[in-house]
Amino acid sequence: MGLKAPYVTNYLTQHFADDAFGQVDGYVARGGYEAARQAISRMSPEEVSTLVKDAGLQGRGGAGFGAGLKWTFMPKGNEKPKYLVCNADESEPGSFKDRLLMERGPHQMLEGILIAAWATGAEKTFIYIRGEYAYAAKQLQRAIDEAYSRGYLGARVMGTQLAHDVVLVRGAGAYICGEETGLLESLEGKKGQPRKKPPFPAMYGAFGMPTTVNNVETFSHVPHIIKHGKDWFRTLGTEKSPGTTIFGVSGHVVRPGLYELPLGTKLDEIIFEHAGGVPDGKRVKGVIPGGMSMPILPAGQLDVPMANEFLRERKSMLGTGGIMVMDETTCMVRVASVISYFFRDESCGQCTQCREGTGWMNKIINRIERGAGSSEDLDVLLDVAGKMEGATICAFSDAAAWPIQGLLRHFREDFEAHVREKKCPFPASFEL
Amino acid sequence: MANITIDGVQYEVKDGRTILQALDDLGLLMNGVDVPHYCWHPKLSIDGSCRLCQVEIKGQPKLQIACNTPVADGMEITTANERVKKAREGVMELLLVNHPLDCPICDQAGECKLQDYAYEYGVAHARTKEPRRALKKRVDLGPTITFDQERCILCRRCVRFTREISKTSELTVNGRGDRSVIETFPGFPLDNDYSMNVADICPVGALTTKDFRFKIRVWFLDDKPGVCTGCANGCNVHLGVANNQVYRYVPRRNDAVNETWMCDEGRMSYKQIGAPDRVQEALVRSAVGGLVSTKLEGAIAAAATKLRAATSGGAGVVAALASAHATNEDLFVLRRFCEALGTETMGVAVPIGRADELLIKAEKAANGAGARALGFKDAQSVVDRVKAGAVRALIVLGHDALAALGGETALAGLDCVILLDSHHSPLERAAHVVFPARVAAEKRGTITNHAGRVQRLVPAIEPAFDAFSEGEVLMRLGQALGLAGFAPGVSFNAREVSRAIGQAVPAFAGCDYDAVGDEGRLLGGAGAR
Repeated sequence: MGLKAPYVTNYLTQHFADDAFGQVDGYVARGGYEAARQAISRMSPEEVSTLVKDAGLQGRGGAGFGAGLKWTFMPKGNEKPKYLVCNADESEPGSFKDRLLMERGPHQMLEGILIAAWATGAEKTFIYIRGEYAYAAKQLQRAIDEAYSRGYLGARVMGTQLAHDVVLVRGAGAYICGEETGLLESLEGKKGQPRKKPPFPAMYGAFGMPTTVNNVETFSHVPHIIKHGKDWFRTLGTEKSPGTTIFGVSGHVVRPGLYELPLGTKLDEIIFEHAGGVPDGKRVKGVIPGGMSMPILPAGQLDVPMANEFLRERKSMLGTGGIMVMDETTCMVRVASVISYFFRDESCGQCTQCREGTGWMNKIINRIERGAGSSEDLDVLLDVAGKMEGATICAFSDAAAWPIQGLLRHFREDFEAHVREKKCPFPASFEL
Repeated sequence: MANITIDGVQYEVKDGRTILQALDDLGLLMNGVDVPHYCWHPKLSIDGSCRLCQVEIKGQPKLQIACNTPVADGMEITTANERVKKAREGVMELLLVNHPLDCPICDQAGECKLQDYAYEYGVAHARTKEPRRALKKRVDLGPTITFDQERCILCRRCVRFTREISKTSELTVNGRGDRSVIETFPGFPLDNDYSMNVADICPVGALTTKDFRFKIRVWFLDDKPGVCTGCANGCNVHLGVANNQVYRYVPRRNDAVNETWMCDEGRMSYKQIGAPDRVQEALVRSAVGGLVSTKLEGAIAAAATKLRAATSGGAGVVAALASAHATNEDLFVLRRFCEALGTETMGVAVPIGRADELLIKAEKAANGAGARALGFKDAQSVVDRVKAGAVRALIVLGHDALAALGGETALAGLDCVILLDSHHSPLERAAHVVFPARVAAEKRGTITNHAGRVQRLVPAIEPAFDAFSEGEVLMRLGQALGLAGFAPGVSFNAREVSRAIGQAVPAFAGCDYDAVGDEGRLLGGAGAR
C-alpha cells in the first residue's frame, strides 16, 4: 500500500490514515452506521430523499446530477424488486478518488448505500467495480462480509424493518461500463453497450427492474449529510455545488495525489498551494480540470473556482475532479493524439457518429502530429467533433468530442505550427 | 390515440408507438414522409444506433431519433428542415468514412440503401484522406450467406434477426468501436431455415446470398408480385424477373401472412420454374407403348377418345386426383368437369413435411385449403376406389398422389389415365396422355393458404415452350367431349372463372382474383387483411 490518505482531508477522508477506520469496529467506534440507524428508524424514505435533495448533493460520477432528485425517480410501491447500483467502475483517465474511498473507507460507502436503500425502497445493491481494482475489491468484500456478520446488511438491518443485500461484481475492463446503462448491460453478463433511453434505469434498470445508479463518492457523502444536516453541508462548497470533493491531481506537479477540498476551490490554489506547482520551475501550459473527457483550460484561466457553474462559463466541466496538469514543454497535438486514441479504443461502436468519428479524429490528429496535416484538417476535425456531439445513445461521443474541441479552442496555434513546419515543433514534449 | 403533427399535417396515431412505428402504421414511411433509417426495421426490436432517423420535435432542444421516441399527444415533428438535413449529412458522411465504396463490383448496387441515401441525403464528395479499414471481403458465414466485412455499416439488423426471429443467435458483433465486425461463433455457422433473410434486411452489400450473388444486376430485374407455393403458408414474394426468367424470390411484406420474411426452402423453390425436368410438350401413348410428343390438339383428341371409351360403361367410373399446387380456378374447372361426367370421386393429394412455429407449414403445397373448400376430399378416398377396381378412368393433376398411390403401378390396370403435370415423374409411365402444365409463376389465378386467405398469382413469365393451365386443358377437353357447361369456343379465363367460383361457392364470395388484390382476402367474408 502506497497512498493511505489524501494530502488534504475533510469529512470524507479525515480518518483515512487510520487503518481501523476501514474495519467495522473502527468505523463504528468513530460514529459509523449511526447515520443509517437514524435515517431508517426516525425518518421516512421521502424525508431522506428530501434532505439529500435540499442539501444539494450533486452526483460525483461526472455528470453532476442531483442525487436526492434521482432517488425520487424510483417508482413507489413494490410491484417489482428495486435495485441500487454503486458505480465503482472508476475509469476516467485522471480519476483515482473512488479507489481510495473503497480501500480506506468501505463502510462509509456501505452506510451511504443503506441510507439510499431506505430512501428508494431498493432491496439489493450491486457494486460494480472495475476489474483492475483488485485490492479495493478485496477490501470491499471484507467490509461487506463484516457488515453481514454484524447485522448491518441482511434480513433485518440493525434490527429495523429494512432488508438489504449487497453484491460485489467485478468488471472486465471497459471504459464504457462506467456509463450507467453500459454498466447495467455488463452487470447482466452482456457486452457493455449503453442502452437507448427511454426507458430510463429508474423504470427499466438492472435485470429489467427499477434501478438507481450512484457513484462511490456520492454514496460516501450521504451519511455525513444525514448526521450533520443540510445546512452544515451547504457551509462547504458553493451555493450551487455544496460539499467537498476529492480532487485527483496528476501530471506535471510536485505532489500528485488526492486532495479533499470544498467545491469551488480555485484551480490555481489546488495546483500551486496544495500540489506544489510545476516541477523544475516550468510554467503551466494547460490543465484538464475534470478527467480526460473534460475540455482543457489554458494557463490564463486557472483562477476558475472548481464547480460546474464556474467551469461551464469556461466551456469545461468538473467531471470527476481529475486534474491533469501539463507544463510548457507539452505538445498539445500529442495530447490530442493520446486522448483521441483512448476514445477510439473505448468506443463501444454502436452509434455511427461515435464509432466512425472517434477513429477519424484520431487518424487526422496523428497525421497532423507526423507533419502531414493541412489547415483544412483542423476545420474537418472541428466539424467531425461537432457532428459527434449530442446525437448518440450515451454521452461517450460528447466526451470524445469535447476535449478535442477544447484543445483546438485554446491551442490551435500548436496544431497550426505542426501544419506550417511539417513536423512536431515540441521536441521536449512527452513521447507518444 | 394521440394526435401528432408531422411536417404540418395532423395524424391520429396509436398510443405507445414511436414516431417511426406510427409512420409505418400509417403506411407513410419512405412513402410520403421520408425519414431515412438503417438500424430500424418494422419487425425487429429497436436498436437506436445508426442515428440517421433524427427529427426535430418542437420544444426539445436536441434532435431526437424517430425510431425510439414515443409519440405524445400534440407532438409537432419536423422531418425535413435544414437542421435535420445537416444531421443526416453528418451521419451519412461518417457512415462512409470506412466504407470501401466498391459499388462497381458490389452486388447490392442498385438496391443499396447506403447508395440511395448517400445520393439522397449525403454530401457529394469525401473529405477523408485516411486509409479505410481493410477487412475480409468474402467471409463464408454458412451454407447460404457470404459476408463482406468492409461494407458492413454495423446496423446489426442481422444480429437481431438471428436472436429475435430465427431464434438461432448465430451472429454477434465482435470487437469495439471502429474495429467492430459481425461474426459467427467458432464452430457455429449461420445455418437455419430462415438464414437468407439476413441478406434482405442488410441495407448494404455486406450480406449477400450465395445463390443470387453475381447472377444479374438488380436493375435488370422486374419485381413482380407473387406468392411462394412451397407450402401452405403462401408467403408473399417479389419474383425477380429478367429475360423471361425468374432469378430469385425475395419476401414481399404482408403483415397478415409472412410479415417481411420467408424460409430458405421456399426462397429456393424458384429453381423449380426453370428446372430441366419440366414437361415441355404434350405426350400421347402410342400403340407400341411409348409416349410420343404431340401438339395440344392431338393430345386433347386422344384424351377425349380414351375418356369416352373408358366411360362408355356408364358414369361413376371416372375419378380425379387433384394437386394442391393447382389454382382455385384450375380446381373449379376440374370440379365442373367431374360434375359433368357425373362423378363425385375427387380427391386432392397434399404432400406433408416438416412444420415450425414461424412460417413453415406441414402441407408442402400452396392450395390444399382451397381444394378442400372446393369440395376435394383426401386423396386416400380416391386411391381406395382405384385399388378396389371401381375406377376405370383417372384424371391426375401433378404427381403428389404418387405417395398415396404407393407408386405408379397402382394405376396399371386403368383404361384411361390423363396426367396434367409441370414436371416429369414416374407417374407418366401409367399415363395415356400427358399435358404440360404451367407453374405458379406462369399462371393467373388464386390460391388459398392454410388460414383461408385467398391470394392471387400474377403471371410473371411466359414458359419457353407450350404449357397450359390445368383449367385450360380441362376446358378444352370438356369442349371436345361436348360436356354440359363446356360451351364450344369459350377459352379459359382465370378472372372469369374466379368470379364464377364466388357465385357457385359461398365461401369464395368476394374473393375473386381482382377483389383480393396483392394482399389477399380471407375466405368466408372473414374480412379483408
